[in-house]
Amino acid sequence: MARIETGMEAMLDMYFYETNTLLEQLDEILLRTEQANMFDSEDIKEIFRIMHTIKGSSAMMGFDNLSVLAHKAEDMFFVIRENPDVITDVSFVYDLVFQVSDSYKAQIEAIQNNDGGEYESMDFTDLINKLLKARDVLMGEANGEAAPAAAAAAQDAPAAAVDSDKTTVRVFFEDGCQMENLRAFLLINTIKEECSFLEFTPADVETNPEASKVIIENGFLITFKPIDNVDFVLKQIESALNVQSYEVVSAAAAEEPAAELPPEPKAAAPVAAAPAAAVAAPVAAPAAAEVKEQSSIEKAQAAVEKAQAASGMQKQNLISVNLAKLDALHDIVGEIITTESMVISNPDLEGLELESFNKAARQLRKLTSELQDTVMSIRMVPLAGVFQKMNRIVRDMRKKLNKDVEFIIEGEETEVDKSIVDSLQDPLMHLVRNCMDHGIEENVQDRINAGKPEKGRLKLAATNSSGEVIITISDDGKGIDPEKVMSKAKRQGLLTKPESEYTEKEIQNMILLPGFSTNEQATEFSGRGVGMDVVKANVEKCGGSIVIDSKKGQGTTFIIKIPLTLAIIDGMEITCGDLVFTVPISTIRESFKAEASQLLNDTNNNEMIMIRGVCYPILRIHEKFDIQTEVTDLEEGILLLVETDNKSVCIFADKLIGEQQVVVKPFPKYLSRYNVKGKGLSGCTIMGDGSISLIIDTNSLIG
Amino acid sequence: MTYDVIKEAVAKQQSGDKKVSNENNILGKVMTFHIGEQIYGIELQNVVEIIEMCHITKIPHVPVYIKGIINVRSKVVPVLDIRTRFGKPEIPYTSRTCIIILTMDDMSVGIIVDKVADVEDIHSSDISATPENKSVNTNEFIQYMIRSGDDVKLILDVKQLLGDEV
Repeated sequence: MARIETGMEAMLDMYFYETNTLLEQLDEILLRTEQANMFDSEDIKEIFRIMHTIKGSSAMMGFDNLSVLAHKAEDMFFVIRENPDVITDVSFVYDLVFQVSDSYKAQIEAIQNNDGGEYESMDFTDLINKLLKARDVLMGEANGEAAPAAAAAAQDAPAAAVDSDKTTVRVFFEDGCQMENLRAFLLINTIKEECSFLEFTPADVETNPEASKVIIENGFLITFKPIDNVDFVLKQIESALNVQSYEVVSAAAAEEPAAELPPEPKAAAPVAAAPAAAVAAPVAAPAAAEVKEQSSIEKAQAAVEKAQAASGMQKQNLISVNLAKLDALHDIVGEIITTESMVISNPDLEGLELESFNKAARQLRKLTSELQDTVMSIRMVPLAGVFQKMNRIVRDMRKKLNKDVEFIIEGEETEVDKSIVDSLQDPLMHLVRNCMDHGIEENVQDRINAGKPEKGRLKLAATNSSGEVIITISDDGKGIDPEKVMSKAKRQGLLTKPESEYTEKEIQNMILLPGFSTNEQATEFSGRGVGMDVVKANVEKCGGSIVIDSKKGQGTTFIIKIPLTLAIIDGMEITCGDLVFTVPISTIRESFKAEASQLLNDTNNNEMIMIRGVCYPILRIHEKFDIQTEVTDLEEGILLLVETDNKSVCIFADKLIGEQQVVVKPFPKYLSRYNVKGKGLSGCTIMGDGSISLIIDTNSLIG
Repeated sequence: MTYDVIKEAVAKQQSGDKKVSNENNILGKVMTFHIGEQIYGIELQNVVEIIEMCHITKIPHVPVYIKGIINVRSKVVPVLDIRTRFGKPEIPYTSRTCIIILTMDDMSVGIIVDKVADVEDIHSSDISATPENKSVNTNEFIQYMIRSGDDVKLILDVKQLLGDEV
């Protein structure tokens, strides 16, 4: 067990966020380039930069194993960067980097779930060895036959360098970057492999926080004798994290490159914005570096300039905000709107002629509604993030299952509420796995026999349609065999009515029942029989629904419908007794007054109504919810025809009030034990006058 | 207050040692209120605020003592009627009727009481434990009692009150 260093806890969140973002970026680059089956030089630089940043921040946080791992990966990419043509077998590089990325995620998760600062420190020795080996292989390819010569040259080089004198530099860190002593220590660690002699003042930076003050005032003095080139070391110092500037106090007389450097303080690249990692040093690959010493310096310098230019352009216009703060903002806006109504329709104003007040009030209303829209839009995020993750899963499974599958993503720019995106990830992952594992045929010959292209197709698409987002996951695999499903369901005892009464659609949807798994043998990815029902539960939890559409032999499509946002719906307000209800407009087909001629009663005296030749049952709200009301005559009140999941019913209430956008609030936690939600109500909302309206859940009302 | 603290306070009072039995510490504060003639109390750390009686939106399919939900500054809070919860007859609400908003484990609940009385200190020397026999009517909700003069105040166990129905 290892401990998180004290004093670092506060920075942990930032570290997690930053590192996870970088790893996601890395995955994205890898997936994109793997399809093209080659590395672009920009991509290599980007990967190099990511590894370097992770290395630096991990070291600062005291996660040594992570830092070393990133370091080795960085080394490997250094070789690739310097010799872009070396990669003859790209796939093994990809596998390695994916492994690094996964190890990172695993370790970070372990740290995130730390128990009072303690976490399991993982052992990456195997992976590191693999990386080292890969680097050597690559380096061997780079140098070809010249490798031994290079090694010999490498031995000569230090000998020449030793003759040069020591160089002293004074380093200043960014104002207010804190923990200058530790940053200085890190800096020393970074350059020590490059130096044959190293001395620094203050000397006790590692252990003495007081040294920070000295460093702030006088700067951090480093005297070093480089193994190979003073420029390398200086570049390293310049590009190190949080270094603001450095000056060469006494340059080595014999070193020409040092003389080129202006002695006055030189601004380093803004590290936080764009760690100009491109320069970051060839720490453990001096041999390769020395061979092309001069040219690589030039390259490195060019890279710095490029990186700086790029950082200007790529500066993201994004900030990360804690979701809790957004929720708070959202609540406040809700309150402002309520208060606004209280002011504008205040009873004290009744009967007064207030022309200018009304004008100002209208203006205020316009602004508050704009404010509300803006706040809502802040919570909307594109589905791209979740979809990208699926990309990765398909890639892994493609390799493991040895199935050739083309993965198509459409509509990833579709935006939904943040909370929905989060709860969608698991169900989508499950469905994608299922399609890959059970959907696509194992045997390519089967596909050819069925007249399908050899390459399987898996499509993930999202579209926006009238307040709902529809996500479809479809494969062109073997589809669902209704007979198999039926016999399986029979064996599991899942049937609730005679076999002959099931329609094909019902049979297909039995897959979503708990404890159902058709695959005879469970695989690593799916088939334990928990899953599809969890998928269904998860989708329903965020107010959505899932339907399966499958044809045997032609493929399967899962259709998920989810509301755009949980937080706001368009509702129709109706009253019943002294209660106000909100019916989601998306479920209402029509509203009308009943006429005696339309009304029917069946033998059990159930009331029904005939509308344009179709008969619908009538559900009286006051009976369903046990409310005292004077309006009990069907012709007196109002009827709303509502429909969900192809089921329709006419609900009967006293009066229609009107349409309103409402902010959905869940029922208080205390009430959850009474299962109010399952009995026809989905939540409540606070209306303009501060009173509460109950939101009708058409689904459970009908069911 | 935990049961251990109550036990300890009671044990000290009964201790033969004069010095120990005369010890009198302030263990916290309670808010007291009336239900009919009886004074009840709730430890102050569970009380968020007191609001006047307001319109309560009824909710279908819940036990009778849950009167409905109210809007407390944009938060939806369920309201219980303590009278009905304790099986006492309902009386019409008056201008003295209040709703005390309680909190426990991130859960807010309002309780309707006849009249709010006071906030007072809990002296360890005044604490009495409830009779051991838990089957006696509403004892399940009473955590301990406070004697002051001739009065006895029943301190409610918020956990039991807001917990699952027994």
